[in-house]
Amino acid sequence: MKRTFPSRSELTMLSAAITLLGLSVNASAQSSPDELLDRMNDVVNTIDFEGTVFRRENGESEALRIVRKIIDGVINERLVSQEGNGLEIIRIGNEVHCILPDKQTVLIEEWANQSTLFSSLPSSEIRYGAQYDVAIIREDRVAGRRAIMLAIRPHDNFRYAHRLWLDEETSFPLKTEIVSQDGELIEQIKFAEIEIGDGISKESLAPSMSLANYSWFTQPEHYASAEVETSWQSSDLPPGFKATSTTTEQMPGAANPVTHIVYSDGLAMVSVFIAEAADAPLAGTSNVGAANTYSVLRDGFQVTAVGEVPAATVQRIATSMQQN
Amino acid sequence: MNDALKMQISAFIDGELPDNESELLLRRLSQDAEMRQQVSQYLDIGRIMRREHEIPGIDQLRGRIGAVLGEVAEPAADERPVVGSALMTPTAGVAIAATVAALALVGLSQLGAPSDPVLQRAVAIDDGPASYTEPAIEQVLAEQPSERLLQYHARHGDTLPGLGPNGVRTRVISLESSELVEVDPHPHLVSGNAEAEPEQEPGQDTP
Repeated sequence: MKRTFPSRSELTMLSAAITLLGLSVNASAQSSPDELLDRMNDVVNTIDFEGTVFRRENGESEALRIVRKIIDGVINERLVSQEGNGLEIIRIGNEVHCILPDKQTVLIEEWANQSTLFSSLPSSEIRYGAQYDVAIIREDRVAGRRAIMLAIRPHDNFRYAHRLWLDEETSFPLKTEIVSQDGELIEQIKFAEIEIGDGISKESLAPSMSLANYSWFTQPEHYASAEVETSWQSSDLPPGFKATSTTTEQMPGAANPVTHIVYSDGLAMVSVFIAEAADAPLAGTSNVGAANTYSVLRDGFQVTAVGEVPAATVQRIATSMQQN
Repeated sequence: MNDALKMQISAFIDGELPDNESELLLRRLSQDAEMRQQVSQYLDIGRIMRREHEIPGIDQLRGRIGAVLGEVAEPAADERPVVGSALMTPTAGVAIAATVAALALVGLSQLGAPSDPVLQRAVAIDDGPASYTEPAIEQVLAEQPSERLLQYHARHGDTLPGLGPNGVRTRVISLESSELVEVDPHPHLVSGNAEAEPEQEPGQDTP
C-alpha cells in the first residue's frame, strides 16, 4: 500500500530544512551591509539565473532577456535585446558572440572575466567612511521577491550614489541604481521577473535563430597594452581617488601609443587617456550612456578623462593633468 | 503618422525645417519607438544619403537618425572588403553593420548631451523618476562621439570589474572601430547548442 504520510525521520528533515531556510532568510535580513555586499559579489559570480531586465539610462529604457548558467565551471550567458534589431550576445567562458540578426552577422570577441549585465557592483572593500557611507534602508519587493535595500551615499559631489536591492534569500542584486547627488537617476537595472537556481535549462542558452547562413567575424588583434611608469599625474585629484594602473596602449588606427591612467576611489573609476594631439582631435564634454568624458589639450597632448562619475569630476581630473 | 508629420520629416531631411521645429521632431523621435518604426518604413535612408545638396553637418545627423531607425547606408564601392586569405577577409561593410547595431543600442538620446551652459539650449523633459535633458540640435550635430572617443569608452569598460549594458554597447562599438576578419562559425552555436565545450574544435579560428 502506498504510504501517504511522511515518516518521522522525513518530518524531522523537513523541519530542519524549514528551520535552516528561516535562519538563512533571517540571517540575510540581519546581516551587516558589508556581509550583504560580500554575499552579493559571491552569488553574482556563482549563481544560475534567468530573467527579464529593464535597463534605464538617461531617460532611455530597454528590455533585455538574460540567462546565466555555469556548466562544468564555465560561465555561459545569453543576453537578448527585446527591442530594436534583436541583438543577441552569447558568452561561453571568455568568448563572446554578438549576433546581429538584421545583418546575418556574428561578431566574436574575447572578454576578460566580465559580466554581460552588471557594470560596477560595489564590494565591502570600498573605503566606506572615507568617501561613502553604506546603510540598510528598508525591506522591499522586487520581481516578486523579498529584497533588502542598501544605499551607498558619497560624501561629496565628485561621485554618484548607489542603491541596491538584494534578494533576501540569496543576496543576488535584483535592482541597482546609480543616482546623482541631486537625485537624478543615472542608470537603473531592474529585474521584472527572475528565476534563480539550478532549474535553468541548457536550451535557453542557445541562439533564438539558426546561424547557418551567418557570416562570422572577429578582430585580427586586440589592443596591445603594457604597464609603464609615466610623468603624467593629476595635481588636483578629487578626494579619495588614487592611480591604480598606468599602461601604454596601441589603439586601432592610431599612429602612436596612448597612455592610460586609471584612477579609482574604490567604487568609481576614471580612465585618463593621454595621446599626441594630432592623433586625437577631441575637445570638450560628451557622454556615452552613464559615462562622462572631458577632453583638453595639455602641452601638445590630448588629455581625455572618461568615467561613470559626474561631469565635474572628469573635467577636474582632465584639466589637472600635468607632466612633472 | 499624419501627412503634416510626413511633410515635417521631409523638410527636416532636406534641411529646410527651422531649428526649433527640428528640435521638437528629434525629441519626438527619441521618445516614440512606434513613430521611429513608422518613420523607418517611410524613409529611404539610402536615397537620402546620396543626395547632392547638403547642409553642413546634416550627414552625421542623418546617420544618427538612420542608426535610431535601424537602417544603414550602402557602403561605397571603395569600402568593400579587400580580399585576403580564405579566412582573413578585412571588411568595412561589417564594420558599418556593427556601427548600426551599436548606435541602435546607444540610441539617439544617449549621444552628446550638452554640459556647456553657453551651448545648452536644452529642454528638460519630465519623464518619471529620471530626468533627461534633450540636447539642442547644434549640440547633436557637434558632439557625435568620434571613433577615438568610442575606443576610449571601450578601453575604460575593460577597467571596470564587470561589464554592464553600457559595456556591451561600447564593446560592439569597439568591434566597429577596427578591421574585422572572417572566421569559421562556432559549430555548437550554429547547431543551436550553446553550452560550454571542454575543448575547441580542431581548426577553429576564434579568439
